[in-house]
Amino acid sequence: MPQLIIDRREIEVPAGTKVIEAAARLGIIIPRFCYHPALGSVGACRVCAVKFLEGPVKGVEMSCMTAAQDGMVVSTTHPEAMEFRRYVIEWLMLHHPHDCPVCDEGGHCLLQDETVSGGHGLRRYLGLKRTYRDQYLGAFVQHEMNRCIHCWRCRRFYQDFAGYRDYGVMQIGNRTYFGRFADGPLESPFAGNLIDLCPTGVLTDKPARFKGRRWDLERAPSLCLHCSLGCNITGSARYREMIRVEGRLNEAVNGYFICDRGRFGFAYANHPERARTPRLDGQEVTWEEACRTAAHRLTRISREYGPGAIAVWGSTRSSLATLGVLQRLCREQGWLGPQFFNSPSRERKVKAAISRLDAGVAVSLADLEKADFLLVAGADPVNEAPMLALGLRQAWRRGATVVVLDPRPVHLPLEFEHLPVPPGGIDLCLDLLVRAAVSHSATEGLLPEAAAAFFNNLSCEYPGDQPLQDRLVSLGMKLKESKNPVIVCGLDIVRESTVVLAADHSRLLRAAKDRAGLFYLLPGPNAFGAGLLSLAGEPSSPSYADMLAAAEQGRIKALVMMETDPFRTFAGQPQFLAALDRLEFLLVLDYLPTPLTDRVQFFLPTTTVFEEEPSGWVNQEGRCQQAAPIYVGGRPISQEGAGSHPPRVFLAGIPGGEPQPGGQTLAALGVALKGTGAPLYLEELDTWLAELNPVFAPLLESKVTHPGVRLLPEARGDYAFSHPNKATLRDVPDDHLELLLVDWTFGTEELSGYAPPTQEVEQPPRLTMQSRDALRLGLGPGDRVSLALGGESITLDLEIVENMASGMMVLPRHRQLAGQKFPEGPILVPLQNIHKV
Amino acid sequence: MLPQEIRENIQRLIEAAERPREQVINVFYILQKHYGYFSDEAVREAAALLKMTPLEVEEMATFYDFLYREPVGKFVIQVCDGVVCWMFHENSIFDYLCQKLQVCAGQTTADGLFTVLPTACIGFCDRAPAMLINGVFYGPLTPAKVDEIIAQLRSEHCDLVICK
Repeated sequence: MPQLIIDRREIEVPAGTKVIEAAARLGIIIPRFCYHPALGSVGACRVCAVKFLEGPVKGVEMSCMTAAQDGMVVSTTHPEAMEFRRYVIEWLMLHHPHDCPVCDEGGHCLLQDETVSGGHGLRRYLGLKRTYRDQYLGAFVQHEMNRCIHCWRCRRFYQDFAGYRDYGVMQIGNRTYFGRFADGPLESPFAGNLIDLCPTGVLTDKPARFKGRRWDLERAPSLCLHCSLGCNITGSARYREMIRVEGRLNEAVNGYFICDRGRFGFAYANHPERARTPRLDGQEVTWEEACRTAAHRLTRISREYGPGAIAVWGSTRSSLATLGVLQRLCREQGWLGPQFFNSPSRERKVKAAISRLDAGVAVSLADLEKADFLLVAGADPVNEAPMLALGLRQAWRRGATVVVLDPRPVHLPLEFEHLPVPPGGIDLCLDLLVRAAVSHSATEGLLPEAAAAFFNNLSCEYPGDQPLQDRLVSLGMKLKESKNPVIVCGLDIVRESTVVLAADHSRLLRAAKDRAGLFYLLPGPNAFGAGLLSLAGEPSSPSYADMLAAAEQGRIKALVMMETDPFRTFAGQPQFLAALDRLEFLLVLDYLPTPLTDRVQFFLPTTTVFEEEPSGWVNQEGRCQQAAPIYVGGRPISQEGAGSHPPRVFLAGIPGGEPQPGGQTLAALGVALKGTGAPLYLEELDTWLAELNPVFAPLLESKVTHPGVRLLPEARGDYAFSHPNKATLRDVPDDHLELLLVDWTFGTEELSGYAPPTQEVEQPPRLTMQSRDALRLGLGPGDRVSLALGGESITLDLEIVENMASGMMVLPRHRQLAGQKFPEGPILVPLQNIHKV
Repeated sequence: MLPQEIRENIQRLIEAAERPREQVINVFYILQKHYGYFSDEAVREAAALLKMTPLEVEEMATFYDFLYREPVGKFVIQVCDGVVCWMFHENSIFDYLCQKLQVCAGQTTADGLFTVLPTACIGFCDRAPAMLINGVFYGPLTPAKVDEIIAQLRSEHCDLVICK
C-alpha cells in the first residue's frame, strides 16, 4: 500500500487510490468539478492541480489523474499550484452569467465555493459571453446551460453510470452543449441525480425551484420509503412543507444516488387533503378525549364480545416502533392480529424470504454490485425497485453476466439475457441453470449431504422447449465459471415455491463455490420488520379477507386500521364496504389522505417519516436504519395562508400540528386501556422486540447508526433445504390468458401516488401482451381493449411486445385503476373476456 | 425519404462490419452526400440504421468539422486555422475570403455557391497558408491566387466531392 505525504501529513492508502481521494481521507478537500468518487477521474476541469514536491511525479499535476505512490510529497497549498488553480477558475468563470441571485444552486453551489477557494474575485474579461438556448427536460430537471463549466459529470452519470442514451454532450470547444437531441422529458428514472451531481446551476430541482436557499431549509438525514431498498436521503423542509429530497451517501446501500420516485415522491407529506386532527363522530376532539373514548369503546367491545372481536390491521409502510407497539397491544389485549399484509400469499412469501436470509447469504446492494453472475428470478428492477437496476448495471460494467427469468417485458439499462418464462416456469429454469452449474461438484462428491440430496431432486428438463433448455444449460456453464454469484428474487409475481427455491439454490451454489448471495425484493419499506413480527406471532394472524368474513358474520365488532389503505391494496372492496357497515367501532390511523379518512367516524392522524420523531425502518436485506425527523410537522404555511400571509392569530400550538407518531399514539392508547399498570411501550420497545424475536437483539446492543444494523441471524451450517415437489410447469389453459398485476416506476406505488410531481410523469395504465397472443385475439398495435373481470370491465390501451412470455397479460396496479376490481391470486382470464373496443 | 437503394447500401455496409459503430462515419458521409448536408432527417435515419439514439448521432456529428448539420453552399471552403497557417498567412486569407465573398465565418453566399469555414490543422503546413474546397487541397495561398480559384470555380462545373 503506497505511503505518501500530503501537506506534511503522512497517509497510507490502497494501491490505485488517486491523490485527490488520499487527501480527502486526511480531511483535505482539494477543489474539484469533474472528479466525483462514484464517477471516477476524467481530468476535464483542471481545477484539482497540486504541486508534487518529491517522488515519481514532479511539478504541478492533476490530483484526480495521479495515483498515489510511495515517496510522494504533495503540497496542495504551494504557490505554484494555487496560482494554477486561480487561472483555471478564472477561465471557467469567463462565460458564467453571474446570475447567482436568481439561481437555485446559489448557497450550495460548488462553483461558488471553488471560485472563492481559488481566489478569483475580479473579472478581467470584457468580451461577449457565450450563450445557449435551454431545453425542456421534463417535470423534474430544470436546464440553464449558460451556467455550464463543462465538467462532464452529467453526461458521465447519465450514459456511463446509469446507461441511458437520450442525454449527452454535443458540439465542441467553446460551444460544447449538454442536453438532449431535442426538447423532451429525460427518459432515465435516475435523471434526478443530475441535480445532485451538477456542480453549478445548470441542472436544478424543478419542483423545488425558487422555494428556498440551503440555509433557509430544515435538513436532516432520512430514508426513502418508496420501495424496500431503504435508500438514504437528505430531506429538506421549509415553512412546514417538505420541498426537496437529495441522495445521501450510504456505501452499503444506495451509494450516492437515488431514483426519481424516491426523489420526487415525498410530497404526500404536504397533501392538502391530509387529515390533521383527531376526529370522533365527525367532530374534532383533543388527543386526550380521543384516546379516552377509543379506549373506552374498545374496552366495552372486549368485555361484551371478548377480545377476539377486535381485529387489527397494519401495513408495511409503518415504522418499526409503530409495528412493534401494535403487535404488543394485540398480544396484551388478546386482539386478533395485527395483520400487516394484504394477502395471505404475500404474507407467506415475505415470511419464507426473511426466514431464509442469514448473515452468510444476504447481500446488500453494494455487495451485489461486486457479484460476477446475477440470476434475477421474477423481478423487474426498474419498475419494482429502480436502484436495483443501477446496482445491476454497476455489476455488469465490472463484467458480470445478468440473467433475468421473468414473464414481463423487462427493460434494464445494460446487456442482459432475458428468458421470458411464465411464473410457473421460473422454478424449472432455476433448477436447470443451477443444476448445470454445480453438477461437476455433485459428481465429484464435493457437496455436503443435504445439498447433494437437494441437488438430486432438481428438475432436469424444461418440457416442450428444447431451445430454452439448451440456453439455460449454456448459461449454467457460465454460472459454473463464476466466483461470486447472487440470486435476486422478487416477491411480487412469483409463486411461493420460487421464493423458497431462490434461497435453496443460493445455498447450493454456496456449497459448491463457498460464496453466493441472495437478494430479495420485498413489498413495502418495512416489510422486513413486519415479517419479523409476523414470524414471531405464530400462529399467524388471520388474513384481511378472513377478518372481513368474520365481521360480516358478526364475530368481529371492531377494527383498528393502522396506516393501511385497503381501498388501494386489498382486492375485495364490496366485501370490505359491507363489513364496515356491520362494525360497531372502526378506528383509522393514517398520514395519507386515503379514501377511508373521510369515511370513518373515528380518525387519529399520524405523522410521516419526515416529522416529529426519529423512526426505524428495516430494508429488504434486514438492515435497520434510522430516519431523523426533518421538521416538527404542521400544515404548510402556503396552505394555511392560501398563498397569502398566514392568519394573524395567536395559537399555543402549530396549526395542523396535531398528528402524532403512530407508535406514540398506540402507546397512549395502551396506557388509556391499561391504566396505571401499563408498560413503557416505546421506551422498552427494543427489549420487548428482542424477547419476541432474538433477531431484534442487535437493537439492544448498539444504537442504530449509519450505515444501519443488520437484523439477521448468524450464518447457519445446518441449512434445511426444502424438498418441494419436483418443479413442474403449470401452464395456462389454451383458452385463457394469465393476468399479471405488476408495479411501474411511477403510478403504482402508494406514497408517491399522492405526490403531484410523480403524478405528472406517470403514464396512463395499459394492457401489455405478447404479439402471438394479440394475433390469436385479432388485436393489433394501437387498439383499445376492454377487459372483463369479475363482472366489471375496464377499457385500456393495448401494447404489443415481443419480449414477454406468451399466455400472459401484464397490467399495472395503477392508482387510476381501482385495485378492488381484481380478484386475488393467479388471475386467469378467458379469451372471450378480452375485446377490441 | 431516403431512397431504397441508398438505404440498402448502408445496410450492407453495416452488416459487413463486426460492430455497426465501426461504420458510423461512413454512414454519415453517405447520408450527407444524399441530403447535401447532415440534416435532422439524416440524423434520424442514421440513428435508426445504426441502432443509436438521435442524441448519440448528434454527439458524433457535431464533433467533426466535415459533417455539416446546417445547409452549405455548393463549394465548402475550409480554411486552415492552424498555427503554421497563421504564421504564413498573407493579410489573413480567411478574412480576405470573407470580404471577397461578402460572408462571415460559417455563412453561405447569396447565390448558394460558397460556404466559408475555419477548420483545424489540415496537415499541409509545408504549403501554408492552405485551404480545402470540397476536400480538394489549395496552397500556398495569396489573395491573388484566391481570386483566381474563386473565378475558376464560378465558371466551371464541379461535382460535390465532400471530402471523400
